[in-house]
Amino acid sequence: MHEPLLRFENVVKKYPSGTQELLILENLNLTLESRRSIAIVGKSGSGKSTLLNLAGGLAKPTAGRVLFQGKDLGKMHDRELSYYRNRHVGFVFQSHILLEDFSALENICIPALIKGGRLKEVKKRALELLERVGLADRVDHRPQKLSGGERQRVALCRALINQCDLIIADEPTGSLDEGSKGEIEDLLLQLVVEAEKSLLLVTHEKSLALRCDTVYQLENRGLTLV
Amino acid sequence: MFRTWLSQHLLLPPKDLVYSRRRLVRSVFLIALVMIPLVLALIFMDGMMQGITDKYILLQDGHLQLYTPEDFAIDDAAIFSADRVVNGYGIIYSKEQSSEVKLKGVKTGYFNPKREAELNLETTDVLQRSSVTPIMVSETLAKMLNVEKGDRVAFILIPEEEGRGARPLLAQITDTYNTNYYELDSALVYLDYADAQKYLPSGGKSYLEVLLTAKATNQLSTVAQRVAQGYSWASWDQFNQTVYHNFVSSRQVIFLVFLLILLVAGVYVASLSNELIQDSYQSIALYKALGAQQKDLSCVFYSVVMLITLTGLVLGLLLGILLGYLLSPFLLWLSKSGLEGLRYYLLDFNVVIAWRDLLFIGASMVIIASITVGFTLARIKKISPLEVLQQD
Repeated sequence: MHEPLLRFENVVKKYPSGTQELLILENLNLTLESRRSIAIVGKSGSGKSTLLNLAGGLAKPTAGRVLFQGKDLGKMHDRELSYYRNRHVGFVFQSHILLEDFSALENICIPALIKGGRLKEVKKRALELLERVGLADRVDHRPQKLSGGERQRVALCRALINQCDLIIADEPTGSLDEGSKGEIEDLLLQLVVEAEKSLLLVTHEKSLALRCDTVYQLENRGLTLV
Repeated sequence: MFRTWLSQHLLLPPKDLVYSRRRLVRSVFLIALVMIPLVLALIFMDGMMQGITDKYILLQDGHLQLYTPEDFAIDDAAIFSADRVVNGYGIIYSKEQSSEVKLKGVKTGYFNPKREAELNLETTDVLQRSSVTPIMVSETLAKMLNVEKGDRVAFILIPEEEGRGARPLLAQITDTYNTNYYELDSALVYLDYADAQKYLPSGGKSYLEVLLTAKATNQLSTVAQRVAQGYSWASWDQFNQTVYHNFVSSRQVIFLVFLLILLVAGVYVASLSNELIQDSYQSIALYKALGAQQKDLSCVFYSVVMLITLTGLVLGLLLGILLGYLLSPFLLWLSKSGLEGLRYYLLDFNVVIAWRDLLFIGASMVIIASITVGFTLARIKKISPLEVLQQD
């Protein structure tokens, strides 16, 4: 039986808020096939980031199931979830989240080292990625020495180094100036297509959303096709 | 690979991470600073105890005292020397002062090279040159009585048995000695064996004072039973039970204090671990988000803190031993500079390094640090990978 890469089945997510519970997602369903891209748009606070956290194994649903290649992420132990995040998911966060004490090259190497790769080989692959995104001359630069666009390109390389099946991007152009936005959008989509990966994207940028295979609007705790 | 890579980064931060580098150096030195006084205290205690023990054995009591007749002959491989001595008690008087002393009558040959070294004698030909009874007192006692070499002093010799009268004696100080230990120096007076027998009431208490070879010192009782041939005997630790037990209990108290200090050091190591984890809070969240396992992160932080602790420990031990060699000259200098309280201690001691005790201190430090760090590692578990999004 064919299993999609990622599937949300009647997912409910609640957060405690004082003595009450705050309902964020209700009976949400979503299917992402391999090598396809989905963009989620919606107002701030609508639950877009929560949806990505569930997909990335960073949070567990209150009810319903999040399935990756048929395996229920909600039933996985912390160890299995760590393994899942390392081997199957590449994260791109809104504000890049690079470690300031490490160089661009070292930041990219982290997921591959966690995976158990040998430093020499990992560095070689990271250098190739840096060259691919046009940052070959920024290898030893610390994040504070890079521009916003350059940092996000480094973050893209970090998401791709383990050749994961799924790239999760949360407002990847959200903190960039207008000049850098288009550049990062192009790069993100090109790299995902080149590497034959799937993309689950949350964005406010209509231009970026419309370049994905499917666009959903997250409102009233559920998804509607745009 | 991740563990090694992250450990290296935490232990050897790049040059521009000045704060991280300073923290490492500060931590190593603080741990070393805890260890240095512990090692110094141990060296002082052991050196002093060993020195005092040696002086009591060599100059006052011997390893063994055999209460045998005058003509008793002794020949045993375990014996370094055996000297017939006679003991008595008296009060010594100068023109200005008086003091209670122990008189010890010794024969020619008693002052062998070992004893000469302990007494810091100016000449080897002692107790030989006087028209009245020649005696040798310590520089300390001479100072107390305000007399010097060549001066005459008087004794009232006290009988050990009841019913016998005290006896006066006029003597001349022909020699002085200095063992650098106040307790011994202030009360021990040497005189010739024949004079002691002649003047001490009822001839004093005569016995054979035996020094054993280094190998035999741990078998006092066995050797004593073998060589005494049925006569009664006493060993130095029986004879100086108060001194001996004071040493033992002082050492136990010091060890207890050491353990308390190590507990405080353990708390510091825990706070270092906490600080490292706190500073790496966002990094840990990111590592977790990128798939790092809890056990790998705990292992890295545990290893890093323990390596810092071990480095500080080894540095502290080495510096402590190095400073230990300077301790005796420094304390002697302090004492001569007018720090009166030090005169009751033996300050002229050889460095004795109790490796077994140092190993025990080191191992205790590692165990205490290991336990306290273990508690702090629970914080890593509590850091959620979602914390990384707080930066976002």
